Parts: sequence; structure tokens; C-alpha cells
Amino acid sequence: MIRAMDRLRLRLPRLDRFLETLGDLARHRSAAIGGSMMAAIILTSLVFPLFYSVDPVANDLLVRFLPPVWLEGGSWEHLLGTDNIGRDVLARILHGSRISLLVGVSTVLVAATAGVLLGLVAGYFGGRLDDVIMRVGDVFLAYPFMLLTISVIAVLGPSIFNLILVLALSDWVTYARTVRGSVLSVKQAEFVQAARAIGTSRAVIIWRHVLPNILSPVLVLGTVRTANYIIWESGLSFLGMGVPPPTPTWGRMLAEGRVYLIDSWWLATIPGVAIMLTILAINLFGDGLRDALDPRLKPTSG
Amino acid sequence: MLQYTLTRLSHMIFVMFGISLISFFFIHLSGDPVGLMLPPDATKAQVEELRQELGFNDPLPEQYLRFVTRAIRGDFGRSIYSHEPVVAMIKDRLPASLELAVAAMIISLLVAIPVGVFSAVKRGSLLDTGSMFLALFGLSMPHFWLGIMMILLFSVRWGWLPTSGRGGIEHLIMPALALGLSLMAMFARLTRSVMLEVLSLDYIRTARAKGLLEAVVVGKHALKNALIPLVTVAGLQFGFLLGGTVIIETVFAWPGLGRLVVKAILDRDYPVVQASVLMMAVIFVAVNFVVDLLYAYLDPQITYRREKA
Amino acid sequence: MKRILTGLVLVVFLVAALAGGAAARDKDTLIVAQETEPVGLDTTRNNLHECLNVSHNIQDRLFEPQEDASVTPALAEKWEWTDETSLKIWLRKGATFHNGEPVNAAAVKFSYDRLLDPNLKSPHRGRMVAFTGLEVIDDYTLVLKTAQPFAPALHLLSYYLPIVPPKYVKEVGDEMYNRKPVGAGPYKVVSWEKGKDIVLEFYEGWYGPKPAYKHVIFRAIPEEAARVASVLTGESDVVEGLSLRSQMTVAKSDKASTTAGMGVMPYLGLNTYQKPFSDERVRQALNYGINRPLINKTIFEGQGILAAGPISPRSFGADLSLKPYPYDPEKAKKLLAEAGYPDGFEVRLSYPTNMQQIQEQTQVIAGDLAKIGIKVQLQPLDPPVMWQKYKNREHQMYIYWWDDNPESDRYMFSLLHSKSRDYYYKNEETDRLLDAARSTLDRDKRAKLYNEVDRKLYKECPWVFLYIVPKVYGVNNKVDYQGRRDGFLFMRFAKPKS
Repeated sequence: MIRAMDRLRLRLPRLDRFLETLGDLARHRSAAIGGSMMAAIILTSLVFPLFYSVDPVANDLLVRFLPPVWLEGGSWEHLLGTDNIGRDVLARILHGSRISLLVGVSTVLVAATAGVLLGLVAGYFGGRLDDVIMRVGDVFLAYPFMLLTISVIAVLGPSIFNLILVLALSDWVTYARTVRGSVLSVKQAEFVQAARAIGTSRAVIIWRHVLPNILSPVLVLGTVRTANYIIWESGLSFLGMGVPPPTPTWGRMLAEGRVYLIDSWWLATIPGVAIMLTILAINLFGDGLRDALDPRLKPTSG
Repeated sequence: MLQYTLTRLSHMIFVMFGISLISFFFIHLSGDPVGLMLPPDATKAQVEELRQELGFNDPLPEQYLRFVTRAIRGDFGRSIYSHEPVVAMIKDRLPASLELAVAAMIISLLVAIPVGVFSAVKRGSLLDTGSMFLALFGLSMPHFWLGIMMILLFSVRWGWLPTSGRGGIEHLIMPALALGLSLMAMFARLTRSVMLEVLSLDYIRTARAKGLLEAVVVGKHALKNALIPLVTVAGLQFGFLLGGTVIIETVFAWPGLGRLVVKAILDRDYPVVQASVLMMAVIFVAVNFVVDLLYAYLDPQITYRREKA
Repeated sequence: MKRILTGLVLVVFLVAALAGGAAARDKDTLIVAQETEPVGLDTTRNNLHECLNVSHNIQDRLFEPQEDASVTPALAEKWEWTDETSLKIWLRKGATFHNGEPVNAAAVKFSYDRLLDPNLKSPHRGRMVAFTGLEVIDDYTLVLKTAQPFAPALHLLSYYLPIVPPKYVKEVGDEMYNRKPVGAGPYKVVSWEKGKDIVLEFYEGWYGPKPAYKHVIFRAIPEEAARVASVLTGESDVVEGLSLRSQMTVAKSDKASTTAGMGVMPYLGLNTYQKPFSDERVRQALNYGINRPLINKTIFEGQGILAAGPISPRSFGADLSLKPYPYDPEKAKKLLAEAGYPDGFEVRLSYPTNMQQIQEQTQVIAGDLAKIGIKVQLQPLDPPVMWQKYKNREHQMYIYWWDDNPESDRYMFSLLHSKSRDYYYKNEETDRLLDAARSTLDRDKRAKLYNEVDRKLYKECPWVFLYIVPKVYGVNNKVDYQGRRDGFLFMRFAKPKS
């Protein structure tokens, strides 16, 4: 069995590297902790309906502002209490986790795809195209981020789709720049020049040589940026521009709870803790990922 | 150098145009503020009259051109609600935002740099892991939530600090802290990693071998070189900081530009939005420009990147 | 290095704590906290509530408005309708502006012309469209003419025509006047820097009784939790803009209490031109299908008043024999079935996002309607977008609100007369009744006309009638202040609690 695995690994150097990285990750403390936290959060958000089927939207005016079960007045029926119109906080947190994760992951996918593509084009083809793309990127970078998102949402109207769109719109530049930088340095490398010299098509060069080298930085970047997207989403919801009601999102819960800070402080605190734990997990994992993938720390060159 | 400056300047102008175009068209694409400018018992005729007067019935490109020609002369018009000249409104609010951003920057650097340095020097110690974990924690906290928690504790529960508004230093502490916390965390981590790199370089070993005191080695030689990339990052972050004051200003009722613009966007107060966005972008680009120049100027002196441990 | 840093932080905190504690206050000073800072202090040019709250203390008008839609003398001492369209006014002699200028007929004419000046773009110009001219008889006598008999005239004049000093206004110009107005009211402006407090001081030359507080400071505290905290700690004496929950917090505390002000009257507008709301039975069904008593008991803590018809029971001319539609989901479903919707239908509910409380209510309303088979899709919109779609008749069901002004014409005419708004409802008989009510000067006859409109619309249900929720001010226990139904802060009535 092990022999078969070894043979497989020799055949597929990429798989080999992948497994090696996984091993590095597992050994790296923060990545392990962060990774398991993330896995727990993702798993919970996917399977919780099997265990907890309370409707997050159902309002019951007769049980408003119930405190969490460990405070005086709490009840086991609503473990984390209820909000201003009697909705169950735990149910909303659980459903909200789906939104946050959905927004985070989708935004990364959209922004990274767009950014990588544009960055590749800009870096590889250079010249006029590069200039145009970079200038346009500068415009997006200089536009105060929050204002860009608010303006677009104000026009398009709040919805999950528009939210993802607008977040991706604000951040594709980060990926583009990173990718472009990587592409530029790879372009100079001898083996690429050699490949060009013998007539290898551009597409093959990009696929075989450029892409693998930009994969790691983009992966790290994406992981780390996901944390940002989740915070931005909650910030936008906080300002009233996020996913429209009655869909529960953590940011919206924060905004709605903020009004009741003095008496029902848990309404604003609990979603904040949820956001923080998720972000912490992502950051821990991202840190570990970055260290694991950093070629400079590897004993042998790639 | 001159050529470089000129190219950068032309890029800046392009960016300005791009931004003004985006903000103009987006704001005009939806919503009719005219109904809100008049009292609810205004007649239909009055509303139409006002629209005509403000030129809202003209085609968009024409309105944009009007805006640009006036803007070049420095006339950014008046708020459509309060009729105050926009330039005056911005002049009113900008210092507040700057004060907040600068305070946040100072607080974060004041804490982050010593922490980062000590963590690097005492690598692997409890101090190191502890502070780096705290830094990660700080990075992970939504700053507006932190602001709200701080108000809950320091103002409502314990009554130490005022709840909101701008005034003396007691008003500045919480918002600046909330704004600067994630920056502080980021700088601490950055300082640590940069210091670690610098400390492992040849010339540091030479200095140590020469028998210089550790404190001198760290303080004079290592820190000086570590500061350069730090300062450039700080400069870049400042631009982002200014744009990011929006939420903190909302939470703490800080009379800054961010809050002004958000309200203006929601109210579709076109002149205010356009001018404010441009102002923030100008500052961002200008700061970037200065930082780039600084970096280019200092670059020949930075040799540490060429050498490796 | 670290020790220095810790020491620094400690010192800063110490200073802050000391500074906070040391800010002792003058017993003569009343501090009022609003949510937003005014953009200007000239009543003529501003319509925003936070501006008028301050400006009404500075600028006196001809009359003083009362809570039952009548008026009492202010700068006008006596008045009489010499015929149905002429109002003769005798001014109080000896009243002066804060800068010493005399309040005379010339000043009134100047103020009147200024209000109507198209270049000034006063938001109140439209309200004065019923007046056709002002004639000065002598220094202290004048006549105002209207095009037709106009019952709300006195009421409007008592709010929206501030009397301003001609010389001063001409001297400093309209911009400066908006920032530092001079009026004939009890308080004059001492200072106002943008972003800082507005400081007012009693004007010794005022003709009325001396108020208890010599200084009144208006400041803005946008964050609600902060505002509530400030009235509990005594940092502020009076605060406005409290959400329902905060109202309960203040009421339950032993540091401050609440007093009722203006009533907010939300209503669910229905697009009566299209299905499904073109059918009266459907509209009535909705009125039976919302559990208003429960909403009132829980969300408003019983402080709300359920609306019967469109006229608030607190406004002039409401038919008090009408009872609010009871919560009867069975009857609602029956009506829906009769109208051809046994399985209910889907509908959009649009609402503007600038009021947190409305957000809450829409979700509860949607929940209630779901129980009678109506699936509601919530559509929150930015206020300008909401307005745009409103004008373009795009809404199916929408929430808007008015305040339950004592003078019913203010909202009844604006909302239900087709000359004003015909976007979602139009009815000739309603128009006729409202026109008649507006031009009948006799109070009793007027009341009967409004009764009729009330009854008619109660049956027709162009809206889903909701409730009136009095907004409430928080008042620190050191102060005695009663809120007003018009929702304005006339601070000369505040006095220290004995």
C-alpha cells in the first residue's frame, strides 16, 4: 500500500508537493488550530438543520428580549436568547453563518478569478494592455472602498448577489497586482525564456510555468482576504446596506442589536463574537498557509 | 526623476477623472432626492419646478460636463438639502477625519513598534507568542463592534469616557483605538517579521562580533533599517485609513468626512458625494505618491534585501 | 520603553477621568441633546425637525400654536376675520428683536415677502400658497388676504412665518442669518460653531414671562445609546430621538423619565388602481389581518393608540365613534376568499430605511399577513429611491408615515386629495369633502365634514390603518418638561424640578 502511494507520488510531482504542504500545515500549530476551527465552522453551517430546526425568521412578540440561558430570565428553549421581535438568536447565528461563509467564499472566487485573469494578461502581455489595466485598477484602489460599495449597493439595491459583486469589484485589484508581480518575475526566469526560444506557445507557458507559481500567493491572499470580506459584509450590513431582511446575517444582527445595547447587550455581543471567531480561524489558517507555502522557508528549492 | 514625477502626475489626473465619473454616474442612476428636499406637503408642481431648476431633467452627460467645468474652477456647488457650499462643508469635516486617522496611526505605531521589536528580539518567548496571538486577535475583531463594546464598558458601565462626539483627548481615545487596533496588530506582526529578517543579516552579526551592546545593535542598526519598509507600509495604510473612518465615525458620532459622505450617498446629495469622494481619493493618491517617491529615494540605501542569511 | 508607555497610558486615562468628572454644570443651563445637528437656524429656510426645534426658540411668530389646533397671541395681540378671506391683525406694541429693532408691520411684511421670495427657495413657500397678499395698514396693523376661505391659516402662520428683523437680515445676508439668526423669541444665539454646541441665552427684552433657564444648549449626539446614556448620567437634561426600547429604559430608570411628544402615524398605503388591492374586500381583509393590539402591547409597550380611520383620534375632526378594526384573521381569510383569493397572494411591501422602528414593524406585519395567506416580500429602499418609485406608482404596498398633527388638513389634504397625490388612490367625493373642510371657517361645521371623511375612508380602506405612536423625550429627573404634540421643543417651558 505504501509502496503504491510512493509510486503514485513519484508519478505526480504536484500531488507530492500538495501532500507535503498538507503535512507542513498539520505540523504548523496555528494552521492546525485555525484549520480545525474553520472546518468546525463550515461543518456546523452545513449540517445544523439536522439538529436545530428553529426558524430564524419566525417572530413571536410574546418572547422578546429573552436573555441567553445562562443569564437570569433565560430559557432552554432559546439558548442564546431572542431578539427585539422574538426571533431565536441561535437560529439566526447558525443561518447567518451560511451567509457569511457564502459571501466570503463567493467573493474570493469572483474577485480572484477576475483579478488573476486581469493580472495574468497585464503581466504577461505587458505594454498598452498592462498600462490600461493597471490604471483602471488604480482608480478602483483610490476610490474609498466603503463609499464604492455603498454607492453601488445604493443603486443596484441590496441583495446577496449584488453584495458579492460589489465586494469583488472593490478587491480584484489586490489579486491582479500580486499575480502581475509574480508573472513579471517568472517571465524573466531562464527556463521561461528558453521555452519561448524553442517556440512553446504562450498558452502552454502560462499553464505549465506561470500558473503553478502564482497559485500559492493567490491561495494565501484569497484565504486572508476572505476574512476581510466577512468583515466588510458585516460592516455593510451594519450600515444597512447588506443582505435585505428578513435573512439573518451577523452584520445585520449587530446593527439591529446595537440599538438595544444598554438592556439587551447580548444582541450585539453574540454576533460580534461569532464574526471574531470566524475571522480568527481564517487568519490563523491563513498564517499557517503562508508559512507552509513560503518557498524561502523550504530547505530545498522548488 | 522629473520624468517619473510627470508620469505619476498624469496617472493621478486619469485616476481623478475615473473616480469622478464613477461617483457621478452611480449617484445619478437611482433615487430622486427632490421629493425629500421639500416638505411632505409640497405640491406636485413645486416638486417639478425644483427639478427643472436644479437641472435634473437634463441628460446625464450634460450634467456631468457641467460638474466638471465648474469643478475645475473650484466650484463644487452646494448641498441640495442644506444649500451649504460643499467646499465649506468638506473644510469643516476633513480635519476631524484627519485627526482621527492620524491619532489611530500614532497609537498603533507607538504600541506596535516596541511590541514587534521585543517579540523579534525575544523570539519564541512567552512575550513573543503571547503578543503575536493578541495581535491576531486584534486583527480578527470587527472594529465597529469593538467600538460598540468600548462604549458599553467605558462609557455606559463605568462612566470613564464620554460616549461620543469630538472634543478633548477623552473623546479621541476610544474611536482612535477602535480604528487603530487592527492597524496596530498588523504593524506589530510586520515589525516583528521585518526585524527578524534584519537581525539575521551579516552586518548585524558583524556588529555583534565587534562587541557592541545588544541594545545598540538592535536600536541603532537593526531598527533603523526595519523602519523603512514599515514607514512605507504605514504611508500606504494611511490612505486606506482615511477611507475606512466611515463606520467608526458612525459609531462614535465623530463629525468627520466619512459620515458626511455616507449620509450624502443615502440622500443622493450629489454635489457633496462627488466632491468628498474626490477629496478622499486625492489624499490617498497624494500619500501614495509621496511614499513612492520616498521609497525610490531611499531604495539605493537598502541593501538588506540583496543579502540573505 | 514599555514602562514609559504604560505610564503614559495611565496618565491619559487619569486625565480623562478627572476631566470628565470636573465638568460641573451651571444650574442656569439646560442641555438638550438631539440626534442630528441642525444645518441652519432660520425657520424660513429649513424644514428639518432638528433645525426648527432650535429656531422656534429664537424666532417668534405671529401666533403661538396650541395643542387643539387653535392659536393664542404671540407677536400678534389681536386678530379678526373681517370677512371670509381677510385676516386683520393688530401687533403687540413694544416687542423688539434681539438686536433692538422694533417688531412692527414693516418687519412682518418683510418676513412675509421674504418667505415667498422664489430666490430664497423657502421650503414653506408651498404652504403659503393659500395667501394672496399682505397689506400694511399702519405701524402695528396689517391685513392678510387669502384666495378662498382657508381654515388652517392661523395654524400655519403660527409655525412657518417667523418674523425677522429687516435691517439685520439685509446687513448680514441670508447665509449668515441662517447661521446666526436674530429673532424676537425668548432666546438669542450666543454662539454656534459647526460641529459644536449651539448656545442660546435668554433675551431680556422678550415680552413674555421669564423662563427658568437662562442658557439653553443644543447639542447633537447621533448614537442612540450615547444619547440615552447622557440623559441618565445627567450629561443632558432633555433628549429626543429615542427608540421604543430606549424609551422603556429611560422610563424604568430612576435617573430620568419620559414625556410624550409628537405622534408618529405610520400607514400601509395600498395601490388601489391594480389588483389585488383594487377590490375593497381585499383592503378590508388586510385591516382585519394584522394583530395590532399585540404589536401595541409588546413593541410599543401599550403606549400606542390604535387608529380607526385615517384621522388620528387626537386630531381635529376625528369621528370618535369609529372603532379600530379588530384582529380577526378568520374574517380576513373569508373576505379574501370572497374576493377570489382563497389561497392568498404574493405582494411586495416597500419601505424606506431611514427609520429603525419601521424596519421592525414591517417584519412583524409580514409575519401576520403570512398567517392569512399573504406572502409578503420585503423591499427596503433608500429614502430617495423609495420616493422615486412612489411617484412612479411602482409600489404595491408601502409604508410611509405622517405625524398626527392637531390640524387634520395638514395630512388629510396632502395624502388623500387627488390634487396633491393621486399615485395610488383617487376619489371625487373625498376630494369634495376635503375641499369643503378646508374652506369652512366655522369650527363645528368643519368638524362634521371631517367626521364624514373619516367614516367614508374607514369603510373604503385606501390604507391599512395602523396606529399612532407618540414619540417620547427623555427628561433627566432634575428637570420638569412636558412634551408637545407638535413635536417641537419650546424650551422656555422647562423648569428645574423642585
